[in-house]
Amino acid sequence: MNNIIVGIPRALLYYRYQDLWLNFFKNLNIKTIVSPKTNKKIIEKGSSYVVDEACLSLKIFMGHIDYLKDKCDYIFIPRIACLKENEKVCTNFLSMYDLVKNTFPQLKILNFNVDYEQNLQEEDGFIKMGLDLNLNKIKVIRAYEKAKKEQKLLSSQKEAKLKKHLNEKNIKIMVASHPYNLHDEFIGIPIINYLKKENITPILSDDAFNRKIDTKGLSNTLYWTFNNELMSFIKKYKDNVDGIILLSTFPCGPDSLANELILRRIKNIPICFITVDNNSADTGLITRLESFIDIIKIKKRRKNSEQTYN
Amino acid sequence: MKKCFLGIDIGSISTKGAIIDADDNIICSAYLWTEGNPLEAVKKLLNTLKKDFDETLYKVVAVGTTGSARRLIGTILNATIIKNEITAHAIGTTSFYPDVKTILEIGGQDSKIILIEDGIVVDYAMNTLCAAGTGSFLSSQAKRLNVKVEDFGSIALQSKNPTKIAARCTVFAESDLVHKAQMGYKKEDIIAGLCQSVALNYLNNVGKGKKIQAPIIFQGGVSKNIGVKKAFENLLKSEVIVPENGHLMGAIGVAILARCENKERDFDFNITNVQFETKGVECHKCPNNCEIICIRKDKQLIDAWGNRCEAGSIKV
Repeated sequence: MNNIIVGIPRALLYYRYQDLWLNFFKNLNIKTIVSPKTNKKIIEKGSSYVVDEACLSLKIFMGHIDYLKDKCDYIFIPRIACLKENEKVCTNFLSMYDLVKNTFPQLKILNFNVDYEQNLQEEDGFIKMGLDLNLNKIKVIRAYEKAKKEQKLLSSQKEAKLKKHLNEKNIKIMVASHPYNLHDEFIGIPIINYLKKENITPILSDDAFNRKIDTKGLSNTLYWTFNNELMSFIKKYKDNVDGIILLSTFPCGPDSLANELILRRIKNIPICFITVDNNSADTGLITRLESFIDIIKIKKRRKNSEQTYN
Repeated sequence: MKKCFLGIDIGSISTKGAIIDADDNIICSAYLWTEGNPLEAVKKLLNTLKKDFDETLYKVVAVGTTGSARRLIGTILNATIIKNEITAHAIGTTSFYPDVKTILEIGGQDSKIILIEDGIVVDYAMNTLCAAGTGSFLSSQAKRLNVKVEDFGSIALQSKNPTKIAARCTVFAESDLVHKAQMGYKKEDIIAGLCQSVALNYLNNVGKGKKIQAPIIFQGGVSKNIGVKKAFENLLKSEVIVPENGHLMGAIGVAILARCENKERDFDFNITNVQFETKGVECHKCPNNCEIICIRKDKQLIDAWGNRCEAGSIKV
């Protein structure tokens, strides 16, 4: 059983769980292959597999599956439906397994199922997956527990780095979006690189994993777990940054409501809202980023000169 | 000879140019359609400017470019500054109206709101990457109704009972418009309704949650449409100023920025005789297949851009 290769698409939930997933397989001595960073070919391929209404992020995901389809024995497809009581994740994450199964009927899928409402916790998902691979249950549980520890360690290191960045005197701009947008080569990375080039410290909304979700004042009834986490991060750190870039892919259902709430209810800080689709020209994006940074720089310079004057 | 500064604003629909002196007075200006060819438009623009420009009295010492073709034209004219249009507009407008608090702007492809306190920009918003409710929307609807877009404003003013038209999305607005026309609504009522929907769409999307305070300036191509101006005044219950030079604010702003750069570079109006060529090539070095734009001056490569990584960089 040690000779199998599991393919992991570098898209969507990968960016949230990569440490946990990769370490889990590593602890079981199972080889994994992760698809490369998103490129144009992946987007084009992915777009050809899904209906027009799917969001850019899902199109990218399907492109990664296409890349992996003949390079591994199994493809790892998580089906995460619910992580918390009375909360949901976007239906795309719920439908992913069926979507892939129907688009690529010949694929062997390694299913990972998490659904709090059905009493299927993260650990249950891993155990079930291990049993599907005919592995020893005890070994699987140990591999999971070890991976979980490693994940916690890495996330606390990330949080320490965030604290360090927040204390920098540099201009800081928060880029707020889902992890799969932030770290995608075609969505968030160009923005993050642009900020770095302008000597601005980017603060990413997944730099810290918030256990205590606080969205009071923004929404008390929103039931999308990932958007609640995003809102909570913005609320917690907005006063430590000079501006917020709110990034979304078209057409994201949960974002269309949650971002509206953020734009209307977060006050006293400049917010630049950017929605990206498969635009090949980046002029519009650069115009928005450049002008947003100009404004923040002018404001900051003025504040500093007033302080010296006083 | 007095020093002066040239600012050019190359938008998706129109190209604007202004030459200012060291005290920001306008020496001459020009305005024409881009017609999808920024290179030709700028050549024509320079020829027009040259006619009103006294080369024995003044000398252009620096050039600034703004607008969506700023990089292309900036490269060709060897500009000292290439700046986005929001910053350029804010600087241009505040130099004429130092007290302004709100700038509403609707251009050919985008719309934005700029909030100003004590002469500096404190907040702004721009439409997301979707051209709903901008000048191009009005132009395409004008074509559908067989009316010149320039006449839209005066026709709208004749209406006593503007038709309600969905404002959120261009595609919905369009089907609404067709439906209303088929039902027999008067043309002027539909046009007035369109103007209102543009203003409402703007305030709901771009201006949402922003505190719009007077003095309010309305600029950009659509500001020439008096129907939209009136719609804004009704909705905001406040006077809205459309500056006479509103279309030039970007060009003036970037000319001021060029002056502030304190850099001087040679500029010659005769550049219009030089052959410029642009060519898009696809880099096949990785799966990204980036489209790279190469700019040639008299067959010699002067600049290239569009590559995402080093593999596609072209050394000049």
